[in-house]
Amino acid sequence: MVGELTSALPVRTDRPDVDDVVAGDSPWNVVVWNDPVNLMEYVVYVFRKLFGHSPEEATRLMLAVHHEGRAVVASGPREKSEVDCYRLHHYGLWATLEKT
Amino acid sequence: MREPFALDRKGRIKVKLDINEVAVLGQLVPLLVAESPSPTEPRGRLPVYPGSPGDDEEFWRLMGSELTSDRADDRTRFEETLGGAERGAVLSEGEAESWLRVLGEARLVLAVRLGIKEESDYDRARRDGGAEMATLDYLGYLQASLAMALTRSS
Repeated sequence: MVGELTSALPVRTDRPDVDDVVAGDSPWNVVVWNDPVNLMEYVVYVFRKLFGHSPEEATRLMLAVHHEGRAVVASGPREKSEVDCYRLHHYGLWATLEKT
Repeated sequence: MREPFALDRKGRIKVKLDINEVAVLGQLVPLLVAESPSPTEPRGRLPVYPGSPGDDEEFWRLMGSELTSDRADDRTRFEETLGGAERGAVLSEGEAESWLRVLGEARLVLAVRLGIKEESDYDRARRDGGAEMATLDYLGYLQASLAMALTRSS
């Protein structure tokens, strides 16, 4: 029991590098850009298929891409966002990643 | 006008095309193999990290070959199932998804050939593009029809 008590005592540590922690944890945005070739119906379908968006949300995002030139369609850790980005490219959409 | 893609009684996607349509679609994979500027991106390699060339290079170094392989699988599934489309064929969801992507990839390649970079380029392309512009529009019609069928089937 003594060992357990000892291990529970606070231990002094160096101050963590806060900047590194924040940078590592900060989510990434997956951005889809407008292009003049992919059809609206197709883009809505892809957003619903890949991200499970409702028809209304997928349509809102597609219209944002169309009218504003880009839209954030997903956010998350870098690794997951890279997979999302890859899948969008597989469907022929231009997607990029940016730190939030 | 008959829809090229419809759902059968079990909710599966059925494709039915005439002989001329199958002939047009039979030219798509050879077109993609011959004309795609990059195996990974029909429009050339698009940046994933626009402000960070090092991260972008690393992304494509890791994912580029996978995308090439996935696109090759799509083309194979498309060609394997195209033959049955004239008499009417049922597509699995995976096969239908491959059709969707091949149609899209072909549209992107045709758009590059037609010089379509902005929506305002369509007027010129429709005036000058001839058969390629007609094919671009036709593939769009097919892709929209298939996307709607996939939505209804899910």
